[in-house]
Amino acid sequence: MDFDFSDDQEMLRDSVRKWVAKGYDAERRKRIVQAGGFSREAWRELADLGLTGLFVPEAHGGMGFGPTDAMVVMEELGRGLVLEPYAQGALIAGGVLSACAPQPAIDGWLGRIAGGDALVVLAHQERGARYRLAQVETSAKAAGHGWTLSGAKSVVPAGDQADAFIVPARVSGAVDDPAGIALFLVERRAAGVKTRGYGSADGARAAELSLAEAPATLLVPAGGPGGGGHAALELAVDIGIAALCAEAVGAMEQLVAVTVEYMNTRKQFGVAIASFQALRHRIADVKMQLELARSMSYFATLKMNEPAAVRRRALAQAKYQLGVSMRFVGQQCIQLHGGIGVTDEYIAGHYFKRLTVMELSFGDTLHQLGEVSDRMQDTAGVFA
Amino acid sequence: MDLNFTPEEQAFRQQIRGWVAEHLPKDISHKVHNALRLSKDDLQRWAKILGRQGWHGWAWPKQFGGPGWNAIQRHLFEEECALAGAPRVVPFGPVMVAPVIMAFGSPEQQQRHLPGIMSGDVWWSQGYSEPGSGSDLASLKCRAERRGDYYVVNGQKTWTTLGQYGDWIFCLVRTDSSGKPQTGISFLLIDMKSPGITVRPIITMDGEHEVNEVWFDNVEVPADNLVGEENKGWTYAKYLLAHERTNIADVNRSKRELERLKRIAKAENVYGDTRFRDEVAKLEVEIVALEMMVLRVLSAEGSTRREAGKQSLEVAGLLKIRGSEIQQRLTELLMLAAGPYSVPFIHDAMEAGWQGDHVGAAYCAPLAATYFNVRKTTIYGGSNEVQRNIVAQTVLGS
Repeated sequence: MDFDFSDDQEMLRDSVRKWVAKGYDAERRKRIVQAGGFSREAWRELADLGLTGLFVPEAHGGMGFGPTDAMVVMEELGRGLVLEPYAQGALIAGGVLSACAPQPAIDGWLGRIAGGDALVVLAHQERGARYRLAQVETSAKAAGHGWTLSGAKSVVPAGDQADAFIVPARVSGAVDDPAGIALFLVERRAAGVKTRGYGSADGARAAELSLAEAPATLLVPAGGPGGGGHAALELAVDIGIAALCAEAVGAMEQLVAVTVEYMNTRKQFGVAIASFQALRHRIADVKMQLELARSMSYFATLKMNEPAAVRRRALAQAKYQLGVSMRFVGQQCIQLHGGIGVTDEYIAGHYFKRLTVMELSFGDTLHQLGEVSDRMQDTAGVFA
Repeated sequence: MDLNFTPEEQAFRQQIRGWVAEHLPKDISHKVHNALRLSKDDLQRWAKILGRQGWHGWAWPKQFGGPGWNAIQRHLFEEECALAGAPRVVPFGPVMVAPVIMAFGSPEQQQRHLPGIMSGDVWWSQGYSEPGSGSDLASLKCRAERRGDYYVVNGQKTWTTLGQYGDWIFCLVRTDSSGKPQTGISFLLIDMKSPGITVRPIITMDGEHEVNEVWFDNVEVPADNLVGEENKGWTYAKYLLAHERTNIADVNRSKRELERLKRIAKAENVYGDTRFRDEVAKLEVEIVALEMMVLRVLSAEGSTRREAGKQSLEVAGLLKIRGSEIQQRLTELLMLAAGPYSVPFIHDAMEAGWQGDHVGAAYCAPLAATYFNVRKTTIYGGSNEVQRNIVAQTVLGS
């Protein structure tokens, strides 16, 4: 039992924090939002720090690091409200490809992901499926030596900027049958691929993706003893959840710091508003939610290497807690600011918007509660 | 970072588990697992069993006869006891007054009092709250006037838990009224058989006699029973409060009670109702999150990193708030699980071995009473509102 970070992890944290402080200030962020919500240049800078290869094995030019290192990076990116889809393009892509993909795909893509030359994101959401991972309408057909995919995916992070997508598609079975789902890689510039980009509620970028007999490379076949494509999709989403939990902790920590500073300087009725007990108790409740969130973010990260069933249950528990915390901390920190909190100029609202989008990503709070409820066992606790 | 216990720690857990399974009387664990009434004899039997093993003061250092366990070992011991259905150790002696006597008491006081506390032979009570001094504890008025070799104590203490069994009581008393309230308080050990002490029951809304008023009428207390220096009692009291940081969250007992909730919900056919089940699921996540907070504090206590220690201090104040809220929510859902069968309130049915006709299942009998009883947890030990004041002070730095 040990909750200390290693010296290497502290150094990693420092380097990301420094980059965020110097290289990703509010002015630059604003320019990126205005330019559409994604910057290749910023992605290149993350790559120069070695971060895009965090989960990529050293043999393929990456760092070969683990979940705790990812958590450290995500906390700092969250603190800085970094818009680029790091969890997607580095952690999910690097993690899933290195764990599940066949050798040619590994050889073809992992080095480019680590080097920042290829942005590969998960495109798994479909209209009508909400957060149910097994519900996949996009169909896959064998064509010669390869496959083609047809269908549509929604709200793909930086979808019109990405170089390729990791796409779950159905090779067999009913629309909600997990055994008939395989995982494919589709290049954005391939025939039959269309994207429609737009800004998302947090200022970042997303896109709708449509596939019309688009050529695809098989990454993980359906079914099989390890669960096949569906199991790999669950792993991808769990990597995303653990990353979001850590990002949320960083974002909340910074939002709380901003709020505390405001409470100590803003005066009303002749005194700092931090002196009012109604507000003091509110900030204590905010601190509670932040620490519960941090605890469950640790929990999520430290359960990432457990067997899939244990991991899945733990990650659902974590995302539920984070959802509750993000909504409470976000809403109350705006409220504690008063009018200034709802302006576009002030930073608090931007944290609020990012926290809101994170709650809606990889399964919202009600969805996760259902996941926990469906998986309840007789004994509860961290080691259950 | 690593969530797992070391092989040594896991072996330690197994050793404790085996010992508890062998030594915890089944009639006592039956009562605990079913929230039935515990008698003085039940509590003292278990205290003496622990005492014979040298574990009644399980957090004590070796030099005072304790096992000298580290924070993780103490946690594992507490968890194994809780999950096995051991009664909560009455904390006033081994957990509360003993550390103060160790840190600030004279060698004579240590020799006189610590062995009786460890063995479970001497029952201690706590004399802190007064009718006019609850959250504002430092305003306490119970006076101790020095007359030669004695203090003469006059006044009243209240909410004295299980004081009806007390052999000794440790009291905060006023020895000076001239300066700030905190600076005129002393820490006094008082033999409850002294002439002039009257203990009167307070019956709480569950119908039980758990707390008392204690009256002091010209009670003579030898001056040797003063702990540390006169007028420094507030410092010692704060030391005592800081001593129990993780135990107050009571997360181990909450884990056990969550299991009971699931059992009862299944038996009462409400577990399949997603509306009810989701409430249990929420509570399960809250308990996991609380346990993670506890583990963070424990790990920080053993850590040499400054950052970890700082985190632990910040988190500690939150444990009481969250732990008590969870205890209340558990009793609430237990009562709701039994539904209409929580309504009958039959005093004798809350006793183990009652031969009468239960209304509904036997486990339903104490559910309402327990729910009533546990309203205390957000009030005692510094109300949750006072805890929020303390947390806010830390967070705001103002």
